[in-house]
Amino acid sequence: MTTRRTREFFARGAPTREPSRAGIVGAIVAKDLLTFSRDKLWMVLTPVALVFIVTMFYLMPPRVDETLVIGVHPPAMAAALRLAMGVGDDQVALTVVPFEDEAAMAAAVAGDVPEGAPRPLIGVSLPIDLLLRARLGQSTTARVYVDAAVPNEVRGAMTTAVREVAATAAGAPLPVAWSADEFVVLGTDRAGAQIPLRERMRPMLAFMVLITESLALAGLVAVEVSQRTATALLATPARTVDVLLAKGIVGTLLAFSQALLVLVVTRAFGPGWGVLLLATLLGAMLMAAIGMLTGAAGKDFIGTLFYGMVFLIVLMVPAIAQLFPGSAAPWIQALPSYGLVEAMTGSSVYGLGFGDLAGHLATAAVWTAVLFGLGWWVLGRKLVTL
Amino acid sequence: MAASAISVDGARFSYGEREVLKGITFEVAPGEVLGFLGPNGAGKSTTIRMLTGQLRPSAGSVRLFGRDVVRARSEVMGRVGVSFEEKNLYPSMTGEENLRFFARLYGVPHADVRALLEHVGLETRRRDLVAGYSKGMRQRLMIARALVHDPDVLLLDEPTDGLDPVSAQAVRDVIRARVESGNAVLLTTHDMHEADELSHRVAFINEGEIYALDTPEKLKLAHGRRSVKVRLRDGDGVREETVELDGEAAGARIAELMASGEVITIHTAEATLEEVFIRMTGRGLA
Repeated sequence: MTTRRTREFFARGAPTREPSRAGIVGAIVAKDLLTFSRDKLWMVLTPVALVFIVTMFYLMPPRVDETLVIGVHPPAMAAALRLAMGVGDDQVALTVVPFEDEAAMAAAVAGDVPEGAPRPLIGVSLPIDLLLRARLGQSTTARVYVDAAVPNEVRGAMTTAVREVAATAAGAPLPVAWSADEFVVLGTDRAGAQIPLRERMRPMLAFMVLITESLALAGLVAVEVSQRTATALLATPARTVDVLLAKGIVGTLLAFSQALLVLVVTRAFGPGWGVLLLATLLGAMLMAAIGMLTGAAGKDFIGTLFYGMVFLIVLMVPAIAQLFPGSAAPWIQALPSYGLVEAMTGSSVYGLGFGDLAGHLATAAVWTAVLFGLGWWVLGRKLVTL
Repeated sequence: MAASAISVDGARFSYGEREVLKGITFEVAPGEVLGFLGPNGAGKSTTIRMLTGQLRPSAGSVRLFGRDVVRARSEVMGRVGVSFEEKNLYPSMTGEENLRFFARLYGVPHADVRALLEHVGLETRRRDLVAGYSKGMRQRLMIARALVHDPDVLLLDEPTDGLDPVSAQAVRDVIRARVESGNAVLLTTHDMHEADELSHRVAFINEGEIYALDTPEKLKLAHGRRSVKVRLRDGDGVREETVELDGEAAGARIAELMASGEVITIHTAEATLEEVFIRMTGRGLA
């Protein structure tokens, strides 16, 4: 097997030069990216996940339809109800649809409406002699039909509105008068400009991408451990710290680049772009830390998936809570991803900047540092005890 | 003898409560092969891991080129090539990519890896993924990886384990060539024939202790039994007789057999290293 070429190789020796730390880390990063690109599972899963996430975003309605359609029977009472609820003809937020027949109104509330016609979520059936009885001071009854999805507070408001119609008809003016000047909205008035669900979904979508790539890194680490290639790495001038740094870089790079892609495609970058960028980077580092932890713990894909899910389901909770404003329990604020999600939502949805979100960013940075340190330590221990 | 390339002095190591190395001492000079022989679990691989700086001895010292391996790991590892018992290559990379990656880690990004692949007979398969390599091809690639930076010391852990005779011979040829060019080689194996063939000296290690360290010839002479095997005609059949050469009546018995005119063949039967190992340690090599 010894040829002239091999004789020359050993005669002149390898063209040595002292390997730099950066050179070693760069070589491991390049190797990891190459092996990642050759992993059929991730090469299928990554684009599928990206397409799925972006599609999910664009399938959601871009606006919130704030119009509340109310049916009323008999039609003669429609004007009184409009008056009681303060609805002008030019206002679209509340539409009153008169019905000749109570049964038809009930069917419409249940969803049986002609195509193109507005579907009332609430139907109010008032007795035809309501105004007369009210003037005579006699009691009467009214019936309200509601769709099952109508929340209790709206049902209550309708009951109040019917009573108000009766009271007004009876010539008893209400003791409190409202005027536009006295209706004070604290914070940004979102009436007519509600945040659509898909906007609030962005942090969750970005987290889904980050999670996918966290599992990818965990897979790379688990393979390095189970196939003992890490032992071969550490028998070269590469040190444990070089390997850990390379894994951290690869995990962060994969997660950050793809989360960034999703955020760009979903047009998340607005006035608060700087915060969003920083929050995404912190999120990518957090997920790299989780990848190192779970990669060290799991022996194969199933193992890393199991350990990964334990962490990632918990980390997803604050992002899911964004979909239901006001529903989050206080303990959610203690989760490592809470600050990140708040920063991402604040910057991408409300256009807030560093001044407004500094606290959340600081919390996110501390949690990221803690988990990155933990992942570093656990994987480091694993590598030296292989 | 030239200054030692490898020097281990009283090294001890424990996994928890279990002491796996109990103060071993040995040296390997440039141009020398030290066969490190012992059964599974004897402490061979632990010794290799101490020599690569991955394990720190709890007592004693481990030096390469006179420098403490733990303190100067990065510097000395640039002069050491290692082939592990596990075929820990990257299966999703080609043979050439595997070598180029390690060449970069050793600071030799422009090493002529194709020459190396040619050296181990893998030049034509250099662009194939390692996942498609046979066991023998992987082992040869492991050897090439250990040589990619033209090291001064080779640590070879079971380099021919499970290989077919042709691949094993190819690996042995590479080792011989490296020794001729001055490499110090620590060869761990439980193949006594291989150790006998390649090693200038052998160390018997068992349960973390070195029982003997000398040339194979001296060990066999000191601890083995010399004998001759004589095959004789016996009526229509053949019988065999072993004559111990160390006995007082050996000469007379051989003369008697020769005089009988029935001798078909006569062979010397030296003790093997394995027999010596069993005699010294009380256990086999499996």
